[in-house]
Amino acid sequence: MKQLSELATPFASVAEALIAAEGTAPWLKKLRQDALTHFKTFSLPAKKEEDWKYTSLWSLSQQAFSHHAESVEIAADQVDSVALLHDAYRVVIVDGVFSEELSDIDALQSGLSITALSESVDQLEHCLGQQTELTKAGLNALNTMLMSEGVVISIDSAIEIEKTIEIIVINTGNTANLATHLRHKIELAADAKATVIEHYVGLTPDSYFTDVVTEVNLAERARLTHYKLQQESNNAFHIATLATHQAQASHWLTNNISLGAKLARNDIHSQLLGEQSHVTMDGLYLVDGEQHVDNHTRIDHAVPNTTSDELYKGVLDGNSHAVFNGKVMVHKDAQKTDANQSNRNLLLSRGCEIDSKPEMEIYADDVKCGHGSAIGQLDQDQLFLLRARGLDEVSARSLLTYAFAVDVLTRIPNLSIREALAKVVEQRLPKTGEKA
Amino acid sequence: MLEIKNLHASVDGKEILRGINLTVNAGEVHAIMGPNGAGKSTLSNVLAGRDGYEITQGEVIYKGENLLDFEPEERAQRGVFLAFQYPVEIPGVSNIYLLKAALNAVRKYQGLDELDAIDFLTLVRSKMELVKMDEQFLHRSVNEGFSGGEKKRNEILQMALLEPSLAILDETDSGLDIDALKIVSEGVNALRSQERSIIMITHYQRLLDYIVPDFVHVLSKGQIVKSGDKELAKELEKTGYSWVDEQPEGVSA
Ligand SMILES: Nc1ncnc2c1ncn2[C@@H]1O[C@H](COP(=O)(O)OP(=O)(O)OP(=O)(O)O)[C@@H](O)[C@H]1O
Ligand SMILES: [Mg+2]
Repeated sequence: MKQLSELATPFASVAEALIAAEGTAPWLKKLRQDALTHFKTFSLPAKKEEDWKYTSLWSLSQQAFSHHAESVEIAADQVDSVALLHDAYRVVIVDGVFSEELSDIDALQSGLSITALSESVDQLEHCLGQQTELTKAGLNALNTMLMSEGVVISIDSAIEIEKTIEIIVINTGNTANLATHLRHKIELAADAKATVIEHYVGLTPDSYFTDVVTEVNLAERARLTHYKLQQESNNAFHIATLATHQAQASHWLTNNISLGAKLARNDIHSQLLGEQSHVTMDGLYLVDGEQHVDNHTRIDHAVPNTTSDELYKGVLDGNSHAVFNGKVMVHKDAQKTDANQSNRNLLLSRGCEIDSKPEMEIYADDVKCGHGSAIGQLDQDQLFLLRARGLDEVSARSLLTYAFAVDVLTRIPNLSIREALAKVVEQRLPKTGEKA
Repeated sequence: MLEIKNLHASVDGKEILRGINLTVNAGEVHAIMGPNGAGKSTLSNVLAGRDGYEITQGEVIYKGENLLDFEPEERAQRGVFLAFQYPVEIPGVSNIYLLKAALNAVRKYQGLDELDAIDFLTLVRSKMELVKMDEQFLHRSVNEGFSGGEKKRNEILQMALLEPSLAILDETDSGLDIDALKIVSEGVNALRSQERSIIMITHYQRLLDYIVPDFVHVLSKGQIVKSGDKELAKELEKTGYSWVDEQPEGVSA
């Protein structure tokens, strides 16, 4: 078998060209160069690495991706039809390029700034790469050496953003096998408050590659509600890192809904660095056919008196494969940590496969920690009750599947977002299903 | 309405129903009594279409059709209703959702349009009044955290809404306090009509004071070993089932 170092896409030479490009700021050259050096040494992670044990990037490594998006125009109503919300600040990226026409960020509330990475990268010297490290899991080196677009959001202290910000990342399929490398940055100053949605959509059934890193920095008492809705094409690769630093009494709620892609991998990481900080880290994945989804989450309780609550649920059908690996680290002095983690999976077919590994490493002694993992099938008694009341088998199965998934949605505080996401999830429920 | 002829059913090769014969005409109320493990719930499950039973002999004719050919939902849509002995909890599905989906499934089969939200709510409220259930139960998950008696009342609520032609009540009276027993009985009596039949499975004569049956049957070891009128239930109250073993095997087969 070939090594993953033999890549069909010349990622390194694309990065070299970016580094050599005229006008690139020296600090950015260095950032990319360090990443490139790292990438040349380590390449894409292979399955022998513990973090990639159940997820193979072999098929990704064999794809010849393009890094030149041909220009494309899509109609505003097409964006409307895929958008989750209609009353949000909208930031649209099409085939890896920010679209000013399709975005709606002209009249921002004061204290809020939203810019495209491509337009503001020169000013981000002390901003990029603060929450991620090249050595961390995921494809951070690849992303750092190649990042070319993204959304930079910053909110001044004590400002509460009333409208939700929806980042819509669309792949049109206009450029065959396009790779896009996106870097988002969300920065909330002290006491700021906002809701941000990252929304990924494929308008093509074909293969492409979305590589994204989102860095989040929450200052004292800042509160961020963050949703990610991944609806990539069923032949797409979606690999994402989401990393957050949380200062004292900050509050982060993140909900990661993964529905699409042939191969989806999320590395989600919160570092609770200030006392009284809290993270709610939720997720829902629905996969069928030959889909593969892998969620690696990590929460570091680094100081005393922090709390975390994590609920990940999965519905697997067909020959799909899901991986959940959730690590909660309670560091040595992190007394009074309260951490709760749960992963539950519903298996609808015989062909699907789940690898679930919740982990807690606890180095403090005065803590309250609980974790659990469960794997089950539809309950035959429940199914019979519904059918005995006249619901046909397909509706009964899909209702019970929804009922299984729904508590990830009921934990969403914002009603209109909850309803919009519920609708998306409902549409994605298995309409047929073999008897389990 | 319903004709059960020489019905034999097994679970995992073990024969549980061993030749049931029973005819229920429209408008009649039949009570089925009998010792634990006799096969009463098995009979109701087989009639409702639950998986896992092998019908080895016999047939069931319902409204002129072969009932055993139908899926559970097709039976429900045709007016067969089973009130469960142990109603299952369904977290995540609200009671009102289930009521609506069930009613619409039946109406669709009958060629009727779905009720609009207001008409539906008005109808549900009137039925809730009948079984004296508080409206908060509508928005709770089906049976989740309900007390034993509340679960049974919830079954009767579903029955009252769906107005089935054949209602099979499997020990709907057990676990009910005296007031609840009266309420549930009133609910059932309200449904009694010339077009409807009711099969009531019970262990207690007391229920039959409220819902007076036309016939009483004793089911034992998978067979109906004795049939009579309401006086039979009173007799059983005194004698218990010890006499059953003295009956010759296959007496009613
Ligand atoms: N799925 C099953 N597997 C094995 N045995 C079963 C199964 N279902 C029923 N039985 C057996 O069949 C017999 C009849 O059970 P059933 O529940 O019909 O009794 P019942 O008359 O309703 O009793 P009760 O008055 O206690 O409710 C019992 O011995 C029971 O253990
Ligand atoms: Mg029983």
